[in-house]
Amino acid sequence: MEIPYVVTPRKDTGLFNSKIAIWLFLASEVMLFGGFFSAYVFLRLGADYPWPERTLPVLPGLINTFVLIGSSVTVVFAWASLKLREWRKFQFFMGITVGCAMIFMVLKGIEYNVKLHHQAMKLKDYSVIEGHLGVESEDGKPVLDHKGSTIEENLIFVEASKLTFDTVRFYKPWVEELLAQAEHHHSKVALAADVTAITKVGQPAETIAKAGESLSVELLNRIRAAHLAARSHNAANRTEALRAEWVTAKAANPGKKGWQIASGVNIDMAALAPTLLGEISTVSFSVDPPAKLDFQPRDIKAADGQSRLRDDTVVDGKLLASPMVFHHIDAIDFQHLVMKAKEKGIDPEVAIENSWLMKNSTFVRDAWAWHQGEIKKLSAELLQAHGVGKDGKPRYVPTHKELYRIGWKDLAKMAEDHGRAKLSGVDAAKEEFFGPDYEARGDETFPGFSVPREQIGFASKFTPAWNTYYAIYFTMTGLHGLHVIGGALVLAYYLFFGKKMYLSNPEWLANRVEIGGLFWHFVDLVWIFVFPILYLM
Amino acid sequence: MADTPEAIKKSVRTYLFVGAILFVGTIVTVLVATVPWLDFGRHGFDAADCILGLTIATFKASLVAFIFMHLNHEKKAVYWLFASGLCMVCSLAGLTALALGDPILDQFFYSGH
Repeated sequence: MEIPYVVTPRKDTGLFNSKIAIWLFLASEVMLFGGFFSAYVFLRLGADYPWPERTLPVLPGLINTFVLIGSSVTVVFAWASLKLREWRKFQFFMGITVGCAMIFMVLKGIEYNVKLHHQAMKLKDYSVIEGHLGVESEDGKPVLDHKGSTIEENLIFVEASKLTFDTVRFYKPWVEELLAQAEHHHSKVALAADVTAITKVGQPAETIAKAGESLSVELLNRIRAAHLAARSHNAANRTEALRAEWVTAKAANPGKKGWQIASGVNIDMAALAPTLLGEISTVSFSVDPPAKLDFQPRDIKAADGQSRLRDDTVVDGKLLASPMVFHHIDAIDFQHLVMKAKEKGIDPEVAIENSWLMKNSTFVRDAWAWHQGEIKKLSAELLQAHGVGKDGKPRYVPTHKELYRIGWKDLAKMAEDHGRAKLSGVDAAKEEFFGPDYEARGDETFPGFSVPREQIGFASKFTPAWNTYYAIYFTMTGLHGLHVIGGALVLAYYLFFGKKMYLSNPEWLANRVEIGGLFWHFVDLVWIFVFPILYLM
Repeated sequence: MADTPEAIKKSVRTYLFVGAILFVGTIVTVLVATVPWLDFGRHGFDAADCILGLTIATFKASLVAFIFMHLNHEKKAVYWLFASGLCMVCSLAGLTALALGDPILDQFFYSGH
């Protein structure tokens, strides 16, 4: 059957099928992205922390904007070439369009990569430092873990002497990881005591596993199977007993409603006990000799003596010093601390002076003193340029961000003022794109820094977990990126597989490219708003 | 929409011109946001910068929609479809404004804090 209106338009609408379809789709896309923009406004105005305005590097966003605008021009040229029946030109322009899409995604990938490797940490007093974590080293050489990888200095260490697993919730990969770590430290993880339980009604307790058996997922699975069988049996027995109690209670209280007799319906647990099997909800293993195990902070609720993992595994042992060690810090941010201080009626300057960072780091104190001088200069410049208002106060003053955040460019400038490394030309341009060049600028500009675990309020890479700004940033740019990939695939299909259609019916292909082009323009249109909102405001 | 070869050839020049405007518009947006002496309104980011940035973005988006997407001479059905999407977005924005404009807005009211 031939499908009508794939090339020629319908008389009533004046449109061919796919054009109606794409505009319906675009209308729904407008609503989708409109919803995200509304969400952005909501998150920004409702944020309970200083919104990180103008925080993203502008250069990658700007280049990507140029790339998308350029591709919007070339895709319309590709369509025009088809209309003029110039196949070679179509290939040329469509090739550039698809190339632009690839460049866009590569740049976006670089941008994401920088974020996902950049560490942020909020201390308990709400001051924030940013930078890159170090790796554990000994005698100048990196310490390797049991997998042969370097150990990032953001782990929690416990000298574990006992591991107690929840027999239902234990997470297999973590069991294997704990085993591997213990083996790496030449420690044996073995059952602390015999695991016994009644597995048959009326029979004595049976030994399911013997003390000294080594930890393995198979062993835990065996214990779990016994536990689940017992639990299921016991649940059925209890339900049956309760049902019998209800029947008795109903017979003894004719005409009464269930809720009137419910309080008197109870299972006789003593009578039921001989019919129940032994449940084994946890099982303990000793670690001999105690081994230094490491855990990702997000996976453990650390406490001295007894820590708990997310799968309810309990780790007994001494909590070892687990500071977060920055190999380089590249920003010191007191904005949130000041916001909190103002809420409590505390003078911001006093709050900063009393912050843990100021009390424990000479570098932070020096940077803050230098920054105060810069702020004085800026205030003077603003006063000179704009004068004072009717109230006698300066018309323009430094922004909250300028006052209380020392970014990587400030730290670099401070180092340059002190006669340290200065970058220019290509190196400086690279910094605009990839962030600070720690190697070239050296440790004096971006020094290392260690923060005890107990001072850390919250820490994360610059991921959606860090704050709602990054959540909406990744959501919007990620969704937009998926649109870029989808659109590029469709356009690439026309480029590489469109020749046959072109030879049989060129107008049909022109219509298809017009539809693909409409989607591509929409992707560009969305970016036209995303770029200033996320990067410049 | 241009359909004849002559009309298409003519419109190619328009596309180039619009592309150039879009490039320039982007540069202007970045300059007013990053160069201190081009900063509008108060020092730093403020409502004036927001309005200016969004105005330029809207102008650029309109060019893309009207010229590249041919909305300057489309069929009535397309306008209806696109307008319906826009209306929904405006309603969403209106709801946002309504909620944020609530004089007794307390974001923690329902969370028990």
